[in-house]
This record gives sequence, C-alpha cells and structure tokens, in this order.
Amino acid sequence: MKELAGRLAALDPDAGAALQVIAYFDRLIEGRAGLESLVRGAAVLSGCPARLVDEERGVRVRVEAEGTRRDDGGPLDPAWPSAPLTPDGPPAVWLERTGVSDGVHAMVLERAAAAARAVLDRTRGRAPAEARQADPASVEVLLDAAATEHARRQAAVRLGLRNVSAARVVATAEGGPLVEAVPATGDSTPTTGGRRAGIGPAVPVRDLPASWAAARTALRFTAEGTDQDPGPRTVYADELGGLALLADTVGPTTEPVPDVRALEHAVATAPWAASTLNAVAFSTSLRAAAAELNVHHSTLQDRLVQAEHWLDWPVQDPHGRLRLQLALVLRRLHRNAAR
Amino acid sequence: MTTNPSAEAQGSRIGPPPPFDPELAAALEIIREQLPSSFSIEMIPALREGIALSEGADLDLTRDGAFEVEERTVPGPQGAPDISLLICRPTRAAAAVPVVYNVHGGGMVIGDNRTGVGEMLDWAEELGTAVVSVEYRLAPEHPHPALVEDCYAGLKWTAEHAGELGFDPERIIVAGASAGGGLTAAVALLARDRGTPVLLGQVLLCPMLDDRNDTPSSHQMAGLGVWDRAANHMGWTALLGDARGGPDVSPYAAPARADDLSGLPPAFIDVGSAETFRDEAVAYASGLWQAGGRAELHVWPGGFHGYDLMAPQAALSQDTKAARLRWLRRLLEN
Repeated sequence: MKELAGRLAALDPDAGAALQVIAYFDRLIEGRAGLESLVRGAAVLSGCPARLVDEERGVRVRVEAEGTRRDDGGPLDPAWPSAPLTPDGPPAVWLERTGVSDGVHAMVLERAAAAARAVLDRTRGRAPAEARQADPASVEVLLDAAATEHARRQAAVRLGLRNVSAARVVATAEGGPLVEAVPATGDSTPTTGGRRAGIGPAVPVRDLPASWAAARTALRFTAEGTDQDPGPRTVYADELGGLALLADTVGPTTEPVPDVRALEHAVATAPWAASTLNAVAFSTSLRAAAAELNVHHSTLQDRLVQAEHWLDWPVQDPHGRLRLQLALVLRRLHRNAAR
Repeated sequence: MTTNPSAEAQGSRIGPPPPFDPELAAALEIIREQLPSSFSIEMIPALREGIALSEGADLDLTRDGAFEVEERTVPGPQGAPDISLLICRPTRAAAAVPVVYNVHGGGMVIGDNRTGVGEMLDWAEELGTAVVSVEYRLAPEHPHPALVEDCYAGLKWTAEHAGELGFDPERIIVAGASAGGGLTAAVALLARDRGTPVLLGQVLLCPMLDDRNDTPSSHQMAGLGVWDRAANHMGWTALLGDARGGPDVSPYAAPARADDLSGLPPAFIDVGSAETFRDEAVAYASGLWQAGGRAELHVWPGGFHGYDLMAPQAALSQDTKAARLRWLRRLLEN
C-alpha cells in the first residue's frame, strides 16, 4: 500500500495504476466501507491529504496522506482538484495538492466521489424529498408492520430517522410513500412534490405503519383539483373525522348509491357540473362559490336550478348540502382505489 | 499448559471465513498483485530477493539523528557462527534506557534484522527506549534450533552488555511479528528455563506458534489473505523437516507445544480474526492465563496476516498500533 501510494505519486498515469484505483474502490464499496475509509483511500492512493465536504448534509471528513484523520485542515483552496457528488453539483471531494494533476488523480477523485455518493445516500439520506425515494427498500421495511423491530429500526437509521421523535408518511398518487420527520413545534408543510397526496398523522417512528395506512386512506379522499375532478389535492388523515369510515366500505367495485349515480349523470351531462357542485357544497356561501368559479351570481343560480333537476334533490338546504357533500366524497372514493 | 484447538476436534462446526475489514480487503486487492497467499519452498530465493529489494536501504534508522545506529557482531550459540545485532540507541538518553529486542518475521525462511524494525523505532521514539534487532540464520538451510538459539544468544549478549550500551537490564522487552512472534515466545521460554535474562515483557504480534497447522482458522483461511495454510506448512517444514506436526516437536521450536506456560513475562498478543494464526494466538493467551500469567490479547476483526504492516493507513491498523503502544507505556511506567 505504501509502495502503491509512492508509485502513484511518482509515476506517470498508466493503465495498471488506474486499474488498481478502480479495484481498491470497488472492494471498499463491496465491503460497505464508511466515508472515512473512502476519503482515506483517496488520500493514500494519491499521496496527499483528501477531503470530503458536503455542506448540505453537514459532512466534513479530512484524512492525511498517511491515513490519519485530521479534520482541521484550514480553508479549501479552489485551485485543488475536486469532484462533485452529482454531475452538476458543488465540488465535494478534494485532493489537497497544487500543480498538474494526472489521469490517476482524476480517477481517484471520480471513484471516491461516486462511492461517497452511494454511502451518503445509504447512510444519511438526502436533505429534501428525493433522498427518501432514493432508498425505497428501507422505506418498505420501515412501513411493514410485519418486519422485525430490529430490521425496522435499522431502516429508520438508514433513512436518517434515528433521533426523530415524530414522523409521518406521505402517500402519493404516483410513486411510493415518503417518510418525513415532523418537528415538535411549528408547522411543517408536507413534502408532496406537487403530487396528489394523503398525509398520515405524526407518530413515533415505530408506529409509522399505522401512519402509512392512514395516509393511504387520506389519499383516497383527494382529487385532481381539475374541473372534471374537483377537490383538494392534499388531504390530512387527521382531518377526516368520521369520513374515514366511508373509505372502508366504498371502493371501485362497490355499487354506488342513487345519489352518486345522479351526480355522475349530472357530471356527464354538463362540463361545468362537477366544479360547480363541488364549489357549492364546500364553500361558505353561494357568493363565495360564484367567486371561486369565476361566474356571475345569476349564472350560478341558473346552473343550480339545472343541477337540482338532474340530481332530484335540493342542494341549498342543510340536509341537501350534506347529501351533496357525501355524494361528492363518495364519488372520489369510487374513483380512487385502495392501494 | 496449552491445548491444540485442532480443526479435527471441531469437526464440521467450522463456518465460512470471517469477512475481511473493508479497507483491508481493498488493500489486499493491491497487495495480492505482489504477494501470493501461498508459497512453496522453491519460491524462497525469489522471495528473499524481493524482500531485499523492498526493505532496508532507504530506511532512515537514525530518524533524523534521534538514534545512534551500529551493527555489532557478537558471539553466536556454542559452536555456531557469530551473529549480527542492529543496535539503535537514543542519542538524547540521560539514564539507562529500556530496550526492545526485535526478532524479525518472515516465515522462518526470509527477512533480515531490518524487517519490521520501523515500528520498533516508532515505539522507541515515543517511549524513549533502545532497539536491538537480531540477524538469525534462516531455514531451510539452518533448521531448528539454529534460529531460536541465535535469537537467544543475541538476547543474552544484550543483557550482559547492558551497562556498556546504556541499557537498563531490568527492562528488556522481547518483541516480534509472525515467525518473529513465535521465536519471541520461544526465546521467552528459553530465558525462563535457563534462568537468564529476566524479561520485562513479551510482545507477540500475529505470532506463528503451532507447527501442527491444524486449527479451525488455518482451515478457514486456506487460500485466502496472506500466509495461508499452505504457506504455513511450507514454513514449518523448512524449520522442522519431517518432524513437523509429529510427536517430538520442541516447545522452543513451536511454543504452542509447551506444557508449562507458568513463570513467563507479561505478554501482549495480537492477531487478526481473518488469518491463519488466529486460533493459535488465542490458545496461547488462554494458556498463559490458565498458568496464572499476565497477558493482553487483541483479536482485531477482519484483519489478515500482517495487515498493519502492509496497509498501515487503514483505521484498523491505526487502532492496532495504538493498542500496542498503550500496553508498552503501561508496562514501562508501572
């Protein structure tokens, strides 16, 4: 090893040295070595101190040429050769050397950066949402109530949830579940990535399977938010109340009640029906509904007369409004299959 | 007393080899290009050539003037040729200093008194000791007991000339790695049985102790790492010829054969979990404890034979070396 380091420092880059660099990092990856080992490999193979700096995750590792870890190395010098963790990202792996870098140094940087990225994704997760998707297998274990407690704890550690007091699951319409920490105080906006999402309750990490089940239920109450499929794109399980019970009894194969059939008929007949009835059902007043729909008050009145004819029940008294709300919600449940 | 943890006795319970430490596995990938796991006797001349090329010449034994270095020819065993001692004395010593007596490694068949002396000088710089390293005759040209008697003769001379050399004769530590570890243990047995010199400690680094070469670890690691079962067979056969593994092997050749491990100096023993010598090193430590002795045993997880020398940068190597230094410091300060 000492000999190799000396050789790399002294010799022109040749295929043999490059192959040894590749073999060295491949074995580290195979052995699931940690970040310090990777940085040490970069330092020893290139014969100068090496650093890994990932500000986003708060990671700073510095190893001297002979393999000792010493993190206090002073400021980074932009003149040093470096490599980013992601193609267009900021420089993350550095070799503390000036002068001409040869192909072997470039190879060391490239291999070290690629290996470090894999380890970071595996062990620390990413700061925002993508990272949690980056390890779907760990999420799967964490949310599987049938997995052993040990396996689920390990998965939580891999996902960066070791010291988290509360977390929740975000079920999205496309793509897998996301798990995110919930701060003890203050609001936190769930990470939905703009997708339709059901938000599970914040729970201790060990109870995440329950949060996942609740999030899936909440997802079924969401809508696209379009004219043909009006309704909220994000639904909190905590806010469903008694409606959650409906999710257990209604699915795509359940026979719709007559109110839902009538609603479907209305929606199929007029392009404005779905959004108009949704606005009327869930707005505080007809005036607010008209504003939301961007139509004149009298236009709304005309539409309601037509709609009540199709539905065959009045929608403006409290009982009729409840029937309308339930019909709209049941329509979403029929459309959104359980997953 | 010791027991032979033989593979036969363990039957089919031997599992797969323990995995190498990730960093060491990566280093091994490169080391393997220069060093095969197994050797045959025919390879010895080539190996000696290779070692001569890679060691010694560019080694600064004076450590920028911290040591005064001389090569001294001293009498060998009765009726045998003189031997050569490499003597490194700290230049700034005010009083008599402790001395580390190094017995080099090399499978009984290769190496010289420069081999492995670098780490002894690290200790010496840190702890203010001197280092004496013995050049002993090698097998197969010189079978047992030439090697151990040379080592003993050099040790005895060092103790007898302590005053003249500025050494404290009460504080002599014998140390060696691999075959040197086995010879170190053997020299400690000889010194005990012959009554002189009295040693302060023995440092047995991944020691080669058992000619029977039949422990579970020797089977597990066959063909793997560095110095596997076949290489070990070659080394012991070079030393003992047909007597290897038989009923009449002296404990001064293979210390694992000793019936009595009482009355020995405190021992520091270390070994990797993924190497041929693991089980014999553990058994020797157990033997020392069972005989009422003092021993500190470290089994470093995933270490292959000689990992600390070949991959000194690895985290495990750094920890290994730090543990040795801490033991030596405790020994010298108490």
